[in-house]
Amino acid sequence: MSAVKPPAGREISPELARVAGRRVLVFSPTIRFRLGPGDRALVEPGDSVVPGMPIAERTPDAELIDVGRLDTPNGMPRKPAKGPSAADDKSLEPLWKEDRVEAAAASAMTRPPMAVRATPGSAPIRQDRRRAPVPGKWWVGGAERREKLSKGKPAVRVGGTLLFETHGRWRAAAGERHQIVESPVAGVVRDARNAVEVTIEVAGAAMPGAIAAGEPSRGYLDVPRLTDGELWASALDVGRAGAVVVAGSRISAQAISRARAMSIRGLIAGSVGEGELRDLEASELRQKASLAPSVPFGLIALDGHGRRPIATPILALLAAMAGREVAIVTDPPLLVFDVAEVPLPELPPDWIRVRSGVHAGREGRWLESAGFYRFRGGIHLDAAVVRFFDETDTTVIPVSDLERFVF
Amino acid sequence: MTSQPRAFFAVDLGSATTAAAVLGHVGGRLRLIAHTAAPASVDLDSMLIGLLAQVGRIDPEMFEELCAGDPPDIPTLVATWPRVVARTTPQRRIAVLAGSRRQRRRLEAAALRAGWLVVGGSADEDDPVALSRMVLSIETNAVLLGADHSPAGDEKRHLPDLAALVAAAAQSRPELTVVLAGGAAGYESVFAALADARSRHQPIVSSGVESGAGAFEAEPMAAESWEKAQTKLASPRTETDGEAATDEAVIDGEPPEETVAEPSDSQGPAADSLDAGQPEAEPRDAEETWAEVLVTVEPGAGEPVGAATERVAAADPADPATVDAQAAVALPFVAAEASPVFPHVLLAPDAEAGQPAGASLQQVLEGLRAFPNDSRLGVARSIASLAYVLDRSIETVEIGLQGGLWSRSEPFGEGHFTVVSSHACLADASFAPANPSEEAIDSVIAWSTAVLDRHKAMDRLNDLRLTPWGEADGEGAVFRVTAAKAAFARLIAAEPEMAANPMPELLIAAGGVFASAPPSVVALAMADLVRRHGVCHIAADGARLFGPLGVIEDESERRRLMANLADDILMPLGSLILPAGVRQGRSAGHMRLKGASSAAEIELHAGVIQVVDLPPGRAARADLDFRDAVRLGNRARHFSVDVGGGLGGLLVDLRDIPMRISDRPESRRAALEAWQRGMWPEVDE
Repeated sequence: MSAVKPPAGREISPELARVAGRRVLVFSPTIRFRLGPGDRALVEPGDSVVPGMPIAERTPDAELIDVGRLDTPNGMPRKPAKGPSAADDKSLEPLWKEDRVEAAAASAMTRPPMAVRATPGSAPIRQDRRRAPVPGKWWVGGAERREKLSKGKPAVRVGGTLLFETHGRWRAAAGERHQIVESPVAGVVRDARNAVEVTIEVAGAAMPGAIAAGEPSRGYLDVPRLTDGELWASALDVGRAGAVVVAGSRISAQAISRARAMSIRGLIAGSVGEGELRDLEASELRQKASLAPSVPFGLIALDGHGRRPIATPILALLAAMAGREVAIVTDPPLLVFDVAEVPLPELPPDWIRVRSGVHAGREGRWLESAGFYRFRGGIHLDAAVVRFFDETDTTVIPVSDLERFVF
Repeated sequence: MTSQPRAFFAVDLGSATTAAAVLGHVGGRLRLIAHTAAPASVDLDSMLIGLLAQVGRIDPEMFEELCAGDPPDIPTLVATWPRVVARTTPQRRIAVLAGSRRQRRRLEAAALRAGWLVVGGSADEDDPVALSRMVLSIETNAVLLGADHSPAGDEKRHLPDLAALVAAAAQSRPELTVVLAGGAAGYESVFAALADARSRHQPIVSSGVESGAGAFEAEPMAAESWEKAQTKLASPRTETDGEAATDEAVIDGEPPEETVAEPSDSQGPAADSLDAGQPEAEPRDAEETWAEVLVTVEPGAGEPVGAATERVAAADPADPATVDAQAAVALPFVAAEASPVFPHVLLAPDAEAGQPAGASLQQVLEGLRAFPNDSRLGVARSIASLAYVLDRSIETVEIGLQGGLWSRSEPFGEGHFTVVSSHACLADASFAPANPSEEAIDSVIAWSTAVLDRHKAMDRLNDLRLTPWGEADGEGAVFRVTAAKAAFARLIAAEPEMAANPMPELLIAAGGVFASAPPSVVALAMADLVRRHGVCHIAADGARLFGPLGVIEDESERRRLMANLADDILMPLGSLILPAGVRQGRSAGHMRLKGASSAAEIELHAGVIQVVDLPPGRAARADLDFRDAVRLGNRARHFSVDVGGGLGGLLVDLRDIPMRISDRPESRRAALEAWQRGMWPEVDE
């Protein structure tokens, strides 16, 4: 069985319908890249992107720059912004409103189209310069642009986005250093706003995760042999450079450090602890602060923080996709398969998995509803009788601890 | 529909839990017939069908009476009976900007009390780039720029720059709502140019996927609302019963109109993208609001006047027959609709206005944040009505996934016709806060009876947020109660003024986190945290009806319903006697408990909490003779108080006020565990 679009849901019993459904695949999800002051989008809504294409340019060390007065497109200095005084006198508008002025203003507010494959400093910037200064507009300047050139010092060029204008003078968030953000996926740009965000509608299918950290990254999917559902950190060697590796039930801090050192692009696991996430965040910050940043590295945990093995249907799906290019996206947490057709494992409709509690990670079949049942601690919960696939006896589990797979 | 039904559904759509109840006219008055609760992932209609089927099986005669004749099939009843729906508003973030740190703190306090997640900065402390980063962040839903009513020099000189910064950010993010408080309202003209920019911003809809800002927005936004750029003046309106509402006067633009979230076929793929980060069954987000059909019933001859909010999950909302069927019946009262209005620039009072200081701004921000049928604010309104009906001072603690509420209402003045109410609604008081702070982790560890390091505590809290109903038994139940106590402790720490009030006559525990815990444990949690001397009754909102009943707009109608339902919806947990000043280390005295048919004498021991079995529905008189003078309302040695029974019995808490527990982790855990084991023996099973 394979999926090229969301398959229609199979009929299940009302009791089984009370079990939370876990969607294994989503189709054409929208992903987001957050930008901040000083960052600009290199794409426009409607643009098609492919993996590796620059979509944004970040300014990691953006600081406040007094840009000064900026000329409007017709060469005249822009009128200083007024303070909290009275509103415009509408009665004077007909005296100076002219068609060509309105047309020029309208064109100034419309963003000119940018080349999709733009690189910093090329055509888009020249086009951008012709627009009236507005918040978020890309600005490039240096000491000489601000008439502060000091003798004997090389001119430093900074770039960033305009922030706001007061008393006729513009402020910008700009810096010397810039980093290009490349799209890890193929898709269509849905929104692109300087200093705010770039959103892309992904072409293809994706597997949702619970937690993602690091940076969006891309590589070939490597599904090594797991020992008791775990992957030893020593298995992460240089031979896996460029891969997104399935790392078993839990990612350790040692595995993360080793994977980054081996130029592995990402790790996929059932769970990851908060301590490991903090270590990774600190490592990312150090990496960004260095002058020679390494390749993007991302990790995704499919279930949460508590240790749980990867669900067998998901592991089967990953095994079927082994060797193909996949991308880890952090917002929202997704493992993206660019292909539209994903091989799906065959599962009986009553196949369930325990997602929390003492039996977390175990899988089996739903037998029947057990009604309200008294569990440990004297807690009464809606319960179900299940049979785990490696047992002959039945077990009563709270329905709220179960999940079923929805493709 | 052949005849008018004599029942309706009350539904509380929480983030983690969906609670549903059937209310009907039985025996000449409105009664709670049945109620249930399930994870938010469970389909509402199937829940209601199961609930009605149970009612029909258990009492067929009453079921027929409710149906006013031969009962049709149950799915038809579920589709046609009216529903009062309250829903939890998802967490929203506001960026607070001020000229000075002093002003920022005041504004942040008001925003926090209004339930916002708050990030803040001031011009005297933070770089404009850092301030812009806060405002431009896509997670920020609104900006509060505030100053004193007459700004002093320290903030006045920064205001032009801040106003320009916020206006520029709003130009880049037209979906942003800007609140200008106090003296910052003088800079409204800076935002005048935004109207054009906002009207140009339209969500891009292509192939059924909404993109742009709306693609990640938690709230439904009708396209028309973007075109109505308007500035509103918000001022608090005080009612005689202590209730307050936001009175909005339109200064510029069209008056606010009702926006109705139409069902849209284009939401499927968008929902995919939004749900992508979590399994299907995870806590409900507000995008489900798109699946909500608001049916307004016009007043007509022979028909009750009102509007009903109908949530149709399984039925096809596009089917006119379905909608007509639902519109055929209505509630005899007006319920608030889930149609939030998003003004672009809102003028608000300064952070010192109102009584207590900041209350006016809190009301404005609350109205901006919450759905009109917000469940948490509904609880606060219901408590005010209940305080009037019962003529008692009442406090409610409601702890949920998206935040917590602490509300107090008490009758006041001659004849007790006026009810004074105050409440604080904190996002940080969630039992599983998103991105828990170090303080939140500390509070969980402090109340935990198990050994937890910081990372483990954070892992468990984050997992609890991902699957709020996960591991609801055993150790999971213990951790859930711990997290709830920690959340309540954060509420108390954030609201010292409310904590300084005298002990209320009735203390109510509400919220899903308490729903599955044993009643005695809930009573212990209340006793652990409400450390004020006095005597009170403890109850729980077992059916979770306060939220839905609170969305009824007419106060008198709500009071009438409360008068009918008070006995049904309050699940008695017991009574709490909490004296202050009991000397440690020896016998504290004696208590004689005289009931209608029995009497008992109990020796009181300092430093412990003693439980006396007193079942629900039983009343007794407790005569307490202390060895030394203690405070129990007054300072004396002999007291005689009336107490009521409950599922947890009578609790005589002779521990210190405030609670003093060892700072050493082992000793602290041992003390907490000993108290808990006394109230929760099943925990060791």
